Amino acid sequence: MSAAPGPVRHKGRGPAVSGWVAPRGRALGGRSFALHRITGIALVIYLYVHLGVLSMLLIGESAWGDFLSVVTAKGFLAFDVVLIFGLLFHALNGIRVALVGSGYLVRHQRALFWVATAIGTPLLVYAAIHVFGGA
Amino acid sequence: MRAWRWTVGSGVALVVLAAVHMVAQHFVVDEAGGMRTYQQVLDYIANPIIFVIECGFLFAVAIHAMLGLRGILLDLDPGPRGRRWIDPGLWVLGTVTVAYGLVLLTTLALRA
Repeated sequence: MSAAPGPVRHKGRGPAVSGWVAPRGRALGGRSFALHRITGIALVIYLYVHLGVLSMLLIGESAWGDFLSVVTAKGFLAFDVVLIFGLLFHALNGIRVALVGSGYLVRHQRALFWVATAIGTPLLVYAAIHVFGGA
Repeated sequence: MRAWRWTVGSGVALVVLAAVHMVAQHFVVDEAGGMRTYQQVLDYIANPIIFVIECGFLFAVAIHAMLGLRGILLDLDPGPRGRRWIDPGLWVLGTVTVAYGLVLLTTLALRA
């Protein structure tokens, strides 16, 4: 085992937020770290949008019906696919980070990324086809 | 180290619970976009097993989200004064989130 179990520790500032979206000169791990944080923040924002939207259910049947007519429009369903991409990436990359951060398969972290990609891509394609009514 | 363990633990729970939530809520219903109608939502939430699963999902997602925000905020190096507010602030936000979710779930389950 080449690394102690647990998260990477360092003193002082972590990577600047402005650097999260700058892909140049970054290794695969750095890019997936940035995308993990971006999808994480997006999912937290979505959590509160989701909880807010579900309050329509408290208002009643007609409010929920009106909401459904908006979110089931074809244009809006594209957002669902983006959301599912965010969920899949965060979940699969999160498993990779948990394994590597806990000291497992540290030397295979690049391979784990591609395994996660191989699992996530067909799931995303299936979900997109299903969302648009094809499966 | 304790925050790391809780992040990983809640993350592992979420992989299972989010998968159940997504499939059950959005992939088994024939309605447009896989969305349940009002009555279908009430009937679904009123199932005691589903109610417990959704409550577990709510707790896991709130814990994981707060710990994720905590990690990002600490990485931004907010200074000693800022650091003092992070944990209490996230405890309040997480507690409000879980409380609102439980009110929502319970109200809907009782309406069925």
